[in-house]
This record gives sequence, C-alpha cells and structure tokens, in this order.
Amino acid sequence: MTATEPATVRPPLPVKMVISGGFGVGKTTAVGSISEIEPLTTEAAITEVAAGVDDLTHTPRKTTTTVAMDFGCLTIDPTLKLYLFGTPGQERFGFMWDDIVEGAVGGLVIVDTRRLDDCYAAVDYFEHKGIPFAVAANAFDGHVEHTLEEIRWALDVTEGVPVVVFDARERGSVRDALLVVLELALARTSA
Amino acid sequence: MADGTPAPDPAGFASAVRPFLLTAGRVADDGADGHWLPVETQVVATPEGLDALDRLTFEQHDIVAVCRLPQSLAEIAARLRLHLNVVRVLAEDLRAAGQLTVHVPDSGVVQDASVLRRVIDGLRAIPDARGVPSDSD
Repeated sequence: MTATEPATVRPPLPVKMVISGGFGVGKTTAVGSISEIEPLTTEAAITEVAAGVDDLTHTPRKTTTTVAMDFGCLTIDPTLKLYLFGTPGQERFGFMWDDIVEGAVGGLVIVDTRRLDDCYAAVDYFEHKGIPFAVAANAFDGHVEHTLEEIRWALDVTEGVPVVVFDARERGSVRDALLVVLELALARTSA
Repeated sequence: MADGTPAPDPAGFASAVRPFLLTAGRVADDGADGHWLPVETQVVATPEGLDALDRLTFEQHDIVAVCRLPQSLAEIAARLRLHLNVVRVLAEDLRAAGQLTVHVPDSGVVQDASVLRRVIDGLRAIPDARGVPSDSD
C-alpha cells in the first residue's frame, strides 16, 4: 500500500456548535431553519449519571444510553463548514453530552419561557464545561412569557451570558442567535 | 454483494446487535489520548479505497462509497443508519487499510480567532429567508 494520497479530496475544517435545551423547545426546528440539508438523525451514546449522587467522594453510577441526535450543517466556504448538533432532549438531569460537545466552539441553550426549568441542565452543563453559550428564548406564537431580565434572574446566569429572544422557525433569527454565541467565543480568544 | 443491497429502511435504525457483530464486538472506546473521534471528524475515500469498492462488502463498501465527498462521522452514521460508534470503529479500520483518510479537527485551529471570524462573516452573509436570492446562486 502506497503512503501517498495524490487525489484524495481535502475536506473542510469542521466548526461545531451545539444547540441544547429541554425536550420540545425547538432545537431541531432551529437546526433545520439554517441547515443547508434536512436535519439528519443519528444515534449517539450519552452517559447518564444516576440522580442523587453528587458527592465526588463516591463513584456515581453511570450508564450509557443510546439516544437520537439531530444535526445539520452549513458550508461557509469550500474550506470551512459549520456543524450544528442538537443535544438529545433531556427530561432528567445528569446526562453527559461530552461525546457530542467535545471541541464545540459554543452552545445555544433554547428555552421555552413557559417551562424555564427544562433548560437548567443545559445551562449547568455549558457553565461546567466552560463553553461559551447564550440563552435564546424561543418566541412561540411570536411572544415570550417573561422579560429578558426575568429569564436571566430565573436561570441565574452570569452577566457574561447573553440572553436573547428568537424564533426557531426564522432563518435570520437563528442566524443572529448563533452570531451572538460566535461573537462571545471570539471575544474569549482575545481575553 | 453490496451493490445489490436495497436502500436502508428509512423507517428506523439498523439492529443494535448486527453492527457490533461487524466490528467483532469492538467498540469505539477511549483512544490513546483519552478521546473518541469527534462526531464532526471528516472522512474521505482515498483513490485506493474507491478502486477497492468492488472488493469491499456491506458496511465497509457503503462507508467508502458515501465518502467520495468528505463526510463527517455523524453524516456517515445518519446516511447509512449505523450507530455512531460502529462508524468510528469501521472508519478506523478503513483508514488503517488506506481506503479512507480521517481528519480529526484540531480544536486549537477550530477555536482560533481567524477561523471564528470567517464563520461569523460567512453566517452574516446568510439571507433572512431561504426565498431571498443571493448573488452566488
């Protein structure tokens, strides 16, 4: 077997962002609004840490669960491609999405303002991992239930975390929410 | 032979068991550096791999065939309806055999300011709605 690869196509550099939030908040809708392909679904393994074991001196019981994960992509240019991965909807706490999230440049946590507590796990996860993220309140039926200040207070996110209102069905709106995250990631590189 | 294989059942995923028989029970556990191949890792068929298509069977054949154009591991898994970890194992085998190249993204490069700026500029150029024509199309 020769070691040279004369005609092998050079792939684009993949840049990954993660779309997260509770079950049914519009993650796949948001991915589909901006992806150049219909969102694809694959099965990924996630680690579920048994609830109630948060004492680090104990070994938490972990089980690996196979879940469906939706994703899409957007070609920026022939050398650069943006991938958007939706974390599986979690009704329970303690999921670890490291397999999906490792190497992501940023995250967008989508919240349904009628059920704010559904997104706590995602907020905690990104804070814990130190991944730049923004909170995007999905304007179902064109409006949100709370002001941005109320959402920020309820989620207890720091001043450095942008909170925006967006519409997961609108391409321009999803684009702008992603830009907020990317600007935050960029600001961090110069910090 | 793989060229007679019907399209995968669009209604569901492949059996959970058979793909792992294919990998002889191997799973994509932590690599030497303690990390799995990222889901966005790019995979491309080599000329040798495409030449060998007639001799490859089943999933190996399908993976090389779908990688005529660069694909992420996640796209391969989704398009072929295979478990992501099965694709990880088989892609590594095919890379070792010279039939694929596997390009693991360097997180330092991906998170570099110049790359982020290019993504930002590219995204800003996206029109509000799909119906709005852009100059390039």
